[in-house]
Amino acid sequence: MHVARHILFQHETIPILHDVCLDVYQGDSVAIVGVSGSGKSTLLSLLAGLDLPSAGTVSLFDQPLAALDEDGRALLRRRHVGFVFQNFQLMPQLSALENVMLPLELAGTPRARDLARAMLERVGLGERMRHYPRLLSGGEQQRVALARAFVGRPALLFADEPTGNLDPASGAQVIDLLFELNREQGTALVLVTHDADLAARCRSVYRLSQGRLQADPR
Amino acid sequence: MKGLRMAWRFGWREGVSGELTLLVLALLLAVCATSSVAFFADRVRQGLVLRANQLMAADMVINADTPLPPALADEARRNGLQVSGSVTFPSMAMAAGPVALASLRAVPGNYPLRGDMRIGLADGRVRQGALRPGPGEAWADPRLMTRLSVRLGDTIEIGQRRLRLTAVLLREPDSALDTFALMPRLLFNQTDLGATGLMGPGARAQWRLMVSGPLAAVNAWGRAIAPRLPAGARIENVEEARPELRNAMDRVRRFLGLTAMLTVTLAAGAMVLAVRRYVARHWQSVAVLRCLGATQRELATVFTLLFAVLGLASGALGAGLGYALQEALTRMAIPDARDALPPPAAWLFALGPVTAWVLLCGLALPALAALYRVPPWAALRDEWTPRSVSMGLPPLAILALVALSLWQVGDWRLAGWLFAGLCGYFLLAGLAAWGMVRGTRRLAHGGGAIGWRFGVAALARRPWLAVLQVVGLSMGLLALLTLTVVRTDLLDTWRRGVPVDAPNQFVINLQPDQVPAVDAAFATAGLPPPALSPIARGRLVAINGLPVRPAQFAPGEAQRLAAREFNLSWRDDLPPANQLAAGRWWTAGASGEFSVEQGLAQKLAIRLGDRLAFDVAGSRLAGRVTSLRTVAWDSFRVNFFVLMPRTMLAGRETSLVTSFYLPPARRVFADLLVRRFPNLTVIDVTAVLEQLRAVIDRLAQTVEALFLLTLAAGVLVLWTALSATGDERLRDAGLMRALGASRRQLRTVMMAELLWLGAFTGLLAGAGAMALGGLAGWKLFDLPFALDGRLPFLGLLCGVVLVPLAGWPLLRRVLRQSPLSTLRAR
Repeated sequence: MHVARHILFQHETIPILHDVCLDVYQGDSVAIVGVSGSGKSTLLSLLAGLDLPSAGTVSLFDQPLAALDEDGRALLRRRHVGFVFQNFQLMPQLSALENVMLPLELAGTPRARDLARAMLERVGLGERMRHYPRLLSGGEQQRVALARAFVGRPALLFADEPTGNLDPASGAQVIDLLFELNREQGTALVLVTHDADLAARCRSVYRLSQGRLQADPR
Repeated sequence: MKGLRMAWRFGWREGVSGELTLLVLALLLAVCATSSVAFFADRVRQGLVLRANQLMAADMVINADTPLPPALADEARRNGLQVSGSVTFPSMAMAAGPVALASLRAVPGNYPLRGDMRIGLADGRVRQGALRPGPGEAWADPRLMTRLSVRLGDTIEIGQRRLRLTAVLLREPDSALDTFALMPRLLFNQTDLGATGLMGPGARAQWRLMVSGPLAAVNAWGRAIAPRLPAGARIENVEEARPELRNAMDRVRRFLGLTAMLTVTLAAGAMVLAVRRYVARHWQSVAVLRCLGATQRELATVFTLLFAVLGLASGALGAGLGYALQEALTRMAIPDARDALPPPAAWLFALGPVTAWVLLCGLALPALAALYRVPPWAALRDEWTPRSVSMGLPPLAILALVALSLWQVGDWRLAGWLFAGLCGYFLLAGLAAWGMVRGTRRLAHGGGAIGWRFGVAALARRPWLAVLQVVGLSMGLLALLTLTVVRTDLLDTWRRGVPVDAPNQFVINLQPDQVPAVDAAFATAGLPPPALSPIARGRLVAINGLPVRPAQFAPGEAQRLAAREFNLSWRDDLPPANQLAAGRWWTAGASGEFSVEQGLAQKLAIRLGDRLAFDVAGSRLAGRVTSLRTVAWDSFRVNFFVLMPRTMLAGRETSLVTSFYLPPARRVFADLLVRRFPNLTVIDVTAVLEQLRAVIDRLAQTVEALFLLTLAAGVLVLWTALSATGDERLRDAGLMRALGASRRQLRTVMMAELLWLGAFTGLLAGAGAMALGGLAGWKLFDLPFALDGRLPFLGLLCGVVLVPLAGWPLLRRVLRQSPLSTLRAR
């Protein structure tokens, strides 16, 4: 990708990202670090095609996102992309199993229930399948979110502060699981985090500062 | 298929978790109210037609002052209809001793065609059915038997024929057409009519031709013969014969329609709030779905399917509940006829789902459309605010609802008044709420206790939500106040229309020279002196110098009114139960003036200032219309279509008429009066009065039953208005607890907000109820427009009690929730 992003606020243009350039390849793990308000989440939105840049291009799987409409981008995400959010973002009205089945059902994958069940077993929540999110701890909720993200075997996974809402012990457990699944499925991983230890586990680290993205020397 | 599966999963889960409860309740209430009123009105209409036919003893009746041409009956028979008839005439009936004036009716062997006759036999049994006296037999009204001092088995002489009295006539099927029959009845077989010798040339009698058969064939025959009816003949209409019952039914239909309209409006308000809450609780989930690759179209399919099924299910269930409620209403209103009533028209069952869909499409879809438009990035950043997409649907939905209400109320002007009133109220309440929010913003920044400052600030921080909440809450309170205070006053007023001591005896044919003796008889019996009105019979012969010909008026009632003789009277002052609708009342000594009843004036196109001429016993009485009056016909006082000043009838031959209340224990006084003054006719209308009073009581009950639905809708609005902000309150409270606020402080903050909200909305609702009550009394019950000054204070009191009470469960939830769980949910 090669993009810039600014927003208009009371007729004034406020730049968020300047001339950001980033390439992610299959099997890569990339961490983007930066202070709060540096534009990390904005960058993630652009990378995943959740939002469009003010200038420049973002391509996913050689497909320029600007050439696709909103629904086209959604279909691309459905086929190739997984997400893990800081605040888990599980559907409160669906059970753990139903939450994991959701991306499979959206993609029309057969045997969605069996696949989701197997994935929940994999993340260690075989006993909690019928439980609703409100009955799960933060760590368990994030493990359900990981199962949901990986169940469709996405080629690319975006994780936004995946440990941001967790205590250190639960956070460590979730991160171990994230990297295990990443390795098992050969998924490219783009991670946004504050956590230097977490970033260090990625193959490459970029720092976002004052709207500019720079490779972090290791 | 995928959309259907997801919609099912979402719907099922949300149904189970209670996310859709408020929405479904609002829909059920709206559908139940509209359906029950529609079913009820339809069955009452059908019931009236059915009963009307039974009450006329036929499906169609032609009444005439002269024998009807046999061609009319022949034509009916040729069309496959059944034909019967009767001849009714006044004559003296004689027994061994006394003589009494009776209304004699001769009936053929196939009388009655519809309805039942009820008679008492010598052995004490009562028989009911299509019965008639055989040749040589007579059946007599108990009043006639008392006057003649006869018993069953005795002989009665009418003209030159002697008949044996074989049964007591307890009820005739066509009594509705003879409600005010002046004389007691003697029924006998038509084969004996010739032998009486009473039907000589010039005999005064009423001939009835009765027809029954398939409704379409009867109506076709009626239409065919109507233009060929001889002068003085008319098609009978039972509704015209019983105006007081029709008035009561019309009034209750309007009242029920208005109640349904109010319920639907309240339910719509609750729905708007419930959908808003639904969107607020779901947009983040939708954003995640967008991230996971759900397209807008798929989301639109899921939600449209979900809500379409919801509409269908709630519509069907609501219609079912409406039907059950209608059964209860019908049982209350017309208990004796309920089983005989046909079911409501089938198409009315579609009304429920259609109402639900109109409400959903118009009020829920624009808000829901915001959900399809949630950008996927909203899953990462909590910055997005849902905004309704107008799509022009709300005005369409409102229009559809208005049309539905108008159809139900059946009175465009009245429904228009209510609708305009409600719109005006929403606008004013919205403006007042906006002003209040602006004002509180200043207060919130000022000093004062923390509870007060934070509580009030909470309102100022969410201005639009606060406005919505104030309007919603005040709507709920308005409904509660209207239904508890205003309703009781109005229904009592209606019931008071027929007071317990309403006159139940009418005395006619009293001669002026008998007045002192009659007054003395009343005084001896301990009764107040009767209020006497002079009466003269006159026919309207000219309007503005042009002769009146019945044919020039619209067929039906207007033609009949133009052809008939009116009871005219003179008075110095406006009679009780009359109100001036236009013009002025005359001064003492005036002459050449008429006061005309407004309904009559409308039907005969008589306007204020028109010159009228009446033919009274061969002489002409002319004058100008100087006033129009509304008359409470159901007051059971002596009332007149046309009144004039004393000078105009002075010196003419008039008799006097009066009505008075005779307590049931002193019934014998009426008989004594007739024995002492044989020329007097005393008519006992106790039965009619009791029937009317019972009907009004039952109808008032039906209105009260439907009010329960409106009340439920009002409570639902209150509840949804508070629930709408429940999540925000939980988050705010969690934050405050985390910052060290004690439970007590939190309670104070929330109570301050609820009290302030309650006081303001209560005051608004009280003012609204005051205006609504005034309007309803004025427009529905013809009372002078008056405002009840207690209502704003009562509203204030209700607000400060009910709003915190309704908010109590929410308050408890906020206080019980741990700050960690609320903050973690952020």
